[in-house]
Amino acid sequence: MTTSTINATTVQVYQVFIKAPPEQIWDAITKPEFTARYFHGARVENTAELHAVRGSEGEDWGTGLTFEFDPPRRLVHEWRSLYDPDLAAEEASRVTWEIDPQEGGVCKLTVVHDGLEASPKTAASVSGEGWMHVLSGLKTLLETGEPLF
Amino acid sequence: MDDDAVFKALADPSRRLLLDLLFERDGRTLTELDAELEMTRFGVMKHLRVLEDAGLVVARKRGREKLHYLNPVPIRQIYDRWIDKYTEHRVSALLDLKSELEDSA
Repeated sequence: MTTSTINATTVQVYQVFIKAPPEQIWDAITKPEFTARYFHGARVENTAELHAVRGSEGEDWGTGLTFEFDPPRRLVHEWRSLYDPDLAAEEASRVTWEIDPQEGGVCKLTVVHDGLEASPKTAASVSGEGWMHVLSGLKTLLETGEPLF
Repeated sequence: MDDDAVFKALADPSRRLLLDLLFERDGRTLTELDAELEMTRFGVMKHLRVLEDAGLVVARKRGREKLHYLNPVPIRQIYDRWIDKYTEHRVSALLDLKSELEDSA
């Protein structure tokens, strides 16, 4: 059976409910002025072609390709961890964002980080606390207008 | 996220076992989970549904299979909302007691 080859951290799924319209969530994950406030200071600028990730000095923290760009519902992009030399040596992986509007002005945001089979250090570094920190920061920013950290 | 749904989902040993199984190895099918529990397939399905409704388990389709993943975010939110708040209070109460005792000494 193919599923037995899946290791605990090669496919990671996170889901959070955010009280905000889908367009606002989309902007918050694709525009640098928002991402800088909750994504470890990373300035992410996501176009239909490129997922650019830069630090405050303009250094490349993990720019990669955009695979799917369907505002304000679905974004799939390459993940490269250029902010850390050990992680940078590993193969690129993939992140999928799905924004799914629910009743009552709430959206379900699902993040899937996969393609991590050849990148165990990256998988360990983003797992659990890593993505949760980012997603709870994003939720707080959108619901209160204030960054969490 | 609805705290009630999360607490209700966690208040059952079979559902906690399902979460532990997914923690050990994530992304399992109903058949794989079913094999680990002494319960009917229908029973496991019902428990998975409660966990999904609480956001603790996320089901994703891969081809014809439906894989179940553990979502740790609601547990983190419960922790932030309940555990952090009270442990912080207790620590600061102890610190107050310490400074009070030291001041009066």
